[in-house]
Amino acid sequence: MPRAFPKKPPSSINAVTLRYTERTPEVQSYLPEIFKGIGASMRHFFANTRDMIRGTRPDPVTERWADGVTTISYPEQKRPYPDRFRGLHRLTTREDGSPRCVACLCCSTACPAQCIYIEAGEYPEGDKRRGYERYPVKFVIDEIRCIFCGFCVEACPCDAIRMDTGVHAAPYDSRNQFIYTKDLLLGLAARDGSHKTANPRHEPGDPTHPGLTREHAHH
Amino acid sequence: MPSFKLDGKDVPFEPGETIIKAAHRQGTEVPHYCWHPGLSAPANCRMCLVEIKPGPNQRAMMLDIVEWDAKAGEYKPAQKPKLLPACQMPAVDGQEVLSESSKHVAEARAHVQEFLLLNHPVDCPICDQAGECKLQDYWLEYQTTGKRMRDEPIHKPKAVVFGPTIVYDAERCVMCTRCIRFMEEVAKDPVLELRERGNLNEVTVAPGRQLDGHYTFMTENVCPVGALTTKDFRFKARVWFLRSAKSICQGCATGCNSYLDYDPRSNKVFRYRPRDNEAVNKYWMCDEGMLSYHAAHEGRVIDARIGPKKVSVEMAIAEAGKRLSNGPKESIAVVLSAQHSLEDNLAMREIATLLGTAALYVSGAGDGYADDILINKDKNPNTTGVRQLAPHAMSFTRLLDDVRAGLVSHVLALGGISPTSDPEDATALSMLGTLVVVAAHKGALTDAAHVVLPATSWTEAAGTYVNKQGIRQIADKAIEPQGASRPAWEHARLVGRALGLEVNFAKLKDLRSMLVGASVPNGNDVTASASI
Repeated sequence: MPRAFPKKPPSSINAVTLRYTERTPEVQSYLPEIFKGIGASMRHFFANTRDMIRGTRPDPVTERWADGVTTISYPEQKRPYPDRFRGLHRLTTREDGSPRCVACLCCSTACPAQCIYIEAGEYPEGDKRRGYERYPVKFVIDEIRCIFCGFCVEACPCDAIRMDTGVHAAPYDSRNQFIYTKDLLLGLAARDGSHKTANPRHEPGDPTHPGLTREHAHH
Repeated sequence: MPSFKLDGKDVPFEPGETIIKAAHRQGTEVPHYCWHPGLSAPANCRMCLVEIKPGPNQRAMMLDIVEWDAKAGEYKPAQKPKLLPACQMPAVDGQEVLSESSKHVAEARAHVQEFLLLNHPVDCPICDQAGECKLQDYWLEYQTTGKRMRDEPIHKPKAVVFGPTIVYDAERCVMCTRCIRFMEEVAKDPVLELRERGNLNEVTVAPGRQLDGHYTFMTENVCPVGALTTKDFRFKARVWFLRSAKSICQGCATGCNSYLDYDPRSNKVFRYRPRDNEAVNKYWMCDEGMLSYHAAHEGRVIDARIGPKKVSVEMAIAEAGKRLSNGPKESIAVVLSAQHSLEDNLAMREIATLLGTAALYVSGAGDGYADDILINKDKNPNTTGVRQLAPHAMSFTRLLDDVRAGLVSHVLALGGISPTSDPEDATALSMLGTLVVVAAHKGALTDAAHVVLPATSWTEAAGTYVNKQGIRQIADKAIEPQGASRPAWEHARLVGRALGLEVNFAKLKDLRSMLVGASVPNGNDVTASASI
């Protein structure tokens, strides 16, 4: 017999009375419910077998060859992801293959999951980029901690980090494998196979790029 | 005290004071780049322009200008008041000054801001000053528009190495000359100078010289923008990740007030910044002091040891108790340390009193370089405090003599650092039957110790220090204790317990209340004024 719980009578019109099943021996032993469940499974098994023999139900293996059926065999087959799907990160490169990242830590500041770790370094004296840019000595993303929100991409002032690889995080078998280091991130390509950015800008050495010294400037 | 009105609020001033200084002292900020409370006022940034209302029998100084009339579609003649720099105008009793409330001032500041940013590279993402930059702050507060100039900005040298500590970026510089004036007026070494004029202006080092000496870090500290950066902090951290704790520099007996900036995520200290205190260090710190934050992580004792073997703190304390209780009472000595806080030393002195031993000694770092600006030759932060706690404590040299004479055989010592590094000292220390050292830093004493207990450094626990002027100052806790370290007073309490003594303190609060008592003449607790 069902009984009311909690025992206190409902005080407002919005209150819901919870009802629990009485704990009788047949309920506690689970056996009637187990047989009911097995019964349901067997009913479907025999019905499906009968339909397949009669030919009134399609074979699930050959089903996907038919038109109008939406089942696909992942992972051999994949659905196209939308253009702006946020997949695994990649670091874009310059013409010379160096990372565009200037280690400003804007991405790791914006990251709500705190999964980006960067150590900044300075170009050596004599390098034309010294003073204008710094570079990431270490750039690590913990892809298991990442929530794929895309804030890092929004925050990046250099378009150095993108999530356009079209790959979602693979299920690895250890946590270490989710730690993506700088080289791995630089190695990932966009869906068109490019390592560059869609928004190129002037580089050190271009006439438009700041980097002229006092001697070279026309003033 | 005479007073003037700034935006309708009364600001008291001392005769001769400028408007900006009186306002700064009261806690009201007039925006500025070139003015600094500790330096002269060249009035070259024009950011602190204010409108001063004429006195009762004066006429306002008005300038004839033309103003664009949008309705009529032409320029119309108009007048506006002559604005004056608050950093150079002496305050006058009863004067009425408009700063935030004048539309002329607001307009002037927006335009000054636009001029200062005309050739600025706006490379905030790679600039260390980002997050604490006056250009960013005042842009948001007074400008909030883009610049109208469409030409390529003037380019100037970048990442110029000024010396062993400082790197200069001329493009970010607003030519406030604070660094130049600091070197000339405070460091008394006029090694920096401006060259060229107008938008080709840049700061240079005197020919044949480099920016060196004992006060180079302050040039970076007074820089309101990211033009000067220190090699030590360059690209190490973004300032918005750092938290600040009010601290006291441990470099010498001057006890400069400072902010200790640390990253709570990595539990690491990144830099010192001076904290204003007119009575101690004014606005400055020396290079050695600015770099002394490294001691929070370097040369530290963070594990308990018995001999060379690492053990748990509990085992080490039990061993220390066993070894010390074996010794005859009259040959036990307690060593205080001028490197540690008053609380730590007081706890050790209490243990000495409870042990019944009268033999108190003091250790600490030896003397070093001194000048008449800030640097004291005594390289300990708390010599005066220890002297006040134990006026009859004997010197470290005397301890070594007494050890050699066989008067002392068992020692409970605070602090690992000894004033001299004579190899014969180590021989004397090795003659001891027992040497238990509670220390935050490695030194001659920890090297010779039979039992080492790891103590927290000044960054990991709050402590009181008495500087050479006798001013009692508190350094707040910044980071969490590293390794197995605990406050030294806590170790003293546990060693006392292990010796079977009835220790009468259990918390820092107990020690603090004992300090306020008669044992120490009460110094002035000096609190910092508002930061610049």
